[in-house]
Amino acid sequence: MASIPLRNPSPEALEKLSRIVGPERIRTTPAELYVYAFNAGMHRAMPGAVVQPMDPFQISAIVSLANEYNFVIIPRGSGTSLCGHTAAVAGGLVIDLQGMNRIKEIEPGDLICVVEPGVVCDRLNAALKKHRFFIPGPASSEVATLGGMVASNSSGDKALKYGATRDYVLGMEAVMPTGEIVRFGTRTIKNSSGYQMEKLMVGMEGTLGIITEITLRMAPLPQKTAACVASFEHLSQAGRTVAEIIGVPILPVQLELMSRACIEAVNKATKLNLPPAGGMLLIACDGHPEAVRTEIEAIRTICSRNEAFRVDYTEDPKRIDELWKGRKQMIPSLSALKPEFATVMLADDMAVPISRVPEAIVGFEEIERQYDILIPTYGHAGDGNLHTKVLLDPENPDHWKQAERAVESIYDLVLKLGGTVTGEHGVAMSKAEYFKKERADSIPFMRAIKHALDPRNIMNPYKIFDWDDGFLSHLRYPVEVSK
Amino acid sequence: MNRTFDDLAKQKLETINCTMCGYCKAVCPVFIDVGWDSASPRGRMTLAYGLLTGEIEPDISIADRLFQCTNCTDCMRRCPSGAKCPEVVRAARREMVKLGFVRPAQQALVGNIETTGNIFADPELNLPEQDGPNLLFIGCQHLSRPNATKKTIRLLDRIGIQVGIMTEVCCGFPLDVMGFTEAHAAQKQRFEDRFRADGRPVITLCPSCLVHLREHYQPSTSHILQEIDRRLDTITMLPQSGTVTYHDPCDLSRGAKIIDEPRRILKKMGYDLVEMSTSGNQSRCCGGGGGILTWDSEISDHLSRRRIEEAVATGADMIVTACATCEQTLKKGTRMYAEQSGTQPIPVRHLLDLLSKALA
Ligand SMILES: Cc1cc2nc3c(=O)[nH]c(=O)nc-3n(C[C@H](O)[C@H](O)[C@H](O)COP(=O)(O)OP(=O)(O)OC[C@H]3O[C@@H](n4cnc5c(N)ncnc54)[C@H](O)[C@@H]3O)c2cc1C
Repeated sequence: MASIPLRNPSPEALEKLSRIVGPERIRTTPAELYVYAFNAGMHRAMPGAVVQPMDPFQISAIVSLANEYNFVIIPRGSGTSLCGHTAAVAGGLVIDLQGMNRIKEIEPGDLICVVEPGVVCDRLNAALKKHRFFIPGPASSEVATLGGMVASNSSGDKALKYGATRDYVLGMEAVMPTGEIVRFGTRTIKNSSGYQMEKLMVGMEGTLGIITEITLRMAPLPQKTAACVASFEHLSQAGRTVAEIIGVPILPVQLELMSRACIEAVNKATKLNLPPAGGMLLIACDGHPEAVRTEIEAIRTICSRNEAFRVDYTEDPKRIDELWKGRKQMIPSLSALKPEFATVMLADDMAVPISRVPEAIVGFEEIERQYDILIPTYGHAGDGNLHTKVLLDPENPDHWKQAERAVESIYDLVLKLGGTVTGEHGVAMSKAEYFKKERADSIPFMRAIKHALDPRNIMNPYKIFDWDDGFLSHLRYPVEVSK
Repeated sequence: MNRTFDDLAKQKLETINCTMCGYCKAVCPVFIDVGWDSASPRGRMTLAYGLLTGEIEPDISIADRLFQCTNCTDCMRRCPSGAKCPEVVRAARREMVKLGFVRPAQQALVGNIETTGNIFADPELNLPEQDGPNLLFIGCQHLSRPNATKKTIRLLDRIGIQVGIMTEVCCGFPLDVMGFTEAHAAQKQRFEDRFRADGRPVITLCPSCLVHLREHYQPSTSHILQEIDRRLDTITMLPQSGTVTYHDPCDLSRGAKIIDEPRRILKKMGYDLVEMSTSGNQSRCCGGGGGILTWDSEISDHLSRRRIEEAVATGADMIVTACATCEQTLKKGTRMYAEQSGTQPIPVRHLLDLLSKALA
């Protein structure tokens, strides 16, 4: 990609911005600009200023100013996205929405709640718990904001049964790229009223507007959860078991698959003492106590039929907690395999059809052997979503080149298996190249929508279908990798 | 400009291994108060990285963020990658101090220690020497409240712990945490000159002295609450009543892992104990740590007020803590809270003072 011209707010625009939000809520100091260049992903780029507006009117005025002065806007929640979503590749103004964090309504009788975009997922769930409701969140729920979750259609380990953020968005208020404050969707559970604009805003990664309020449906907290752990000699047996359980149909709340390498990594890093096995399933069911028991019983039978050599069952919340903590320990456990390497977010969350999960894992292990880097795999096998971690020396350009080739092979395999390059984390920069392969037919339509809504290309430009530079540019590490 | 940051360079791997997941943002008291990402541990790691790579020039905006850390270390507890952010911050502070980013209040504190050997610049700040099989290291804070400290020494005597007392000098903790490398090295030397030959087991009163002595002097240094807790079965006390909440000093809970001992003691004294929403190794800082009082007392005030809100929400009639700095900071917080809410301030007490009373 030819070098991207910077579109920072001019001194005059900064002056006006300061009048809109107040001098305390705009920053151009080196500390702020440098820090807001970064996020949880591997890309970074520095903005020209950061503001923290407090209401949609301020945001609307800012966006109008951006159109007038032709500077770029990057909406931002907690900055935990993993694919370069918030990197200011064309400079511009970061709009940090963490300060707009009021929980405005919780209406159990309507099954909805209304929040500002900066509300952190766990904080909302703590408030909803008092009413015995919840909203499923990503693994980063203790810091991720609802605005960020909606804009990247986040989902977590309960997606199999409870769906993604998309499934909870009923309506919203947003400031569009031309500055209008609009309302999309409804406060009703059902709605067939024309184009579902509120759903169009889900997963748009800050490219179509700024969400200033969200109306969400809520899910009831289950009365009971029970779990079982099944160990198999071969990974393929575990894989068959997954497809058979889903096919009954039974929808467990969580269904995780671990390969031998992952079991070893967890055992090395924790005291969980998982039995050594070729493949292991962690399965949890939730709901009415009777239903949970019946489902778990059926699952145990299926595991035995598929030659599980050991099936442990527990209803003890402490043990369940321990097991899932072990599963959550996966990321640090894998990092600990090679402490001198950094874990980078590459090919980190693809999804394949549920029945193809074992093939994908075996394929990834093959690719790992081909290239001299570590790519351990684990995943939410129940919904076909797989995670890998690439461990490499981030200052070694050769490692990056190897990673590039390995990642390409991984995505080729994923697409061959009928999958998608991203099940959870989104596209932004690091997956754009492969996303374009996957969704070739959609791209002209996505471009047309973007152009219609954002004619001056103000909102988070050069992302998703508009990123042409692969994943080796704008790296946050001190390394130059030749193209 | 090409600079080399030798001290910070040793932390390079830490800055690269930080995956920037941001989990630390959920626990950092300063970020929760300030709200800008640069005020989070992840932000400070980023700034340290920028200084190291030469991508940013040291300036006051960077110094501000580095010195606003309270060194509560909750980020390190939460970090899934085990990145040692507090150590990186300290190394970065050392570099900033070398470049002259120093506030008058810091300079004054350094001067106090250099000229008088204690943080209060009080040449009389010491208790009479006495002999004993253990050495009690009292520390500046407890020396500044001699009457209470004398009662604590009597208390130790009554439960069978005879302690020796020497003329003290500051252990150097404040200099270390603020990043004054040379002053710290000199103070360490002064401290060692006085205590090197003394092989007696050391008991401390102050949580920060405790962690500092363990790191730099005697790894087996113990805290007075551990000693009392060990003898709890044999101690008889006047029964107390009331509902209290216990504020864990960061250096005692996360630093020295002393969490259950004060709680067992409070229960034995007869108090009903209620916990704040963050406690034990997840306890929130009172706003008095890491030298923040010498850099940004406004943030410190906000933090102590927030901690008081947590305490008030428990319904307790009293806040108990085991650190003299926490005690003072929280007392200030209760006054501010009471003024703003139009309520009576909730009392704040040092556990050692309550113990002296219960054993009297
Ligand atoms: C350790 C770790 C684990 C993770 N686990 C998961 C997981 O299990 N599942 C998952 O899906 N993701 C996961 N993520 C990725 C990330 O946390 C989620 O996508 C999260 O929802 C992002 O929220 P945020 O507030 O950090 O958004 P940000 O990173 O700040 O922003 C994300 C995107 O949303 C846009 N945006 C933010 N707020 C608004 C708004 N109000 N209006 C318009 N656009 C906006 C931004 O421009 C950006 O494009 C994980 C990340 C980490 C670091």
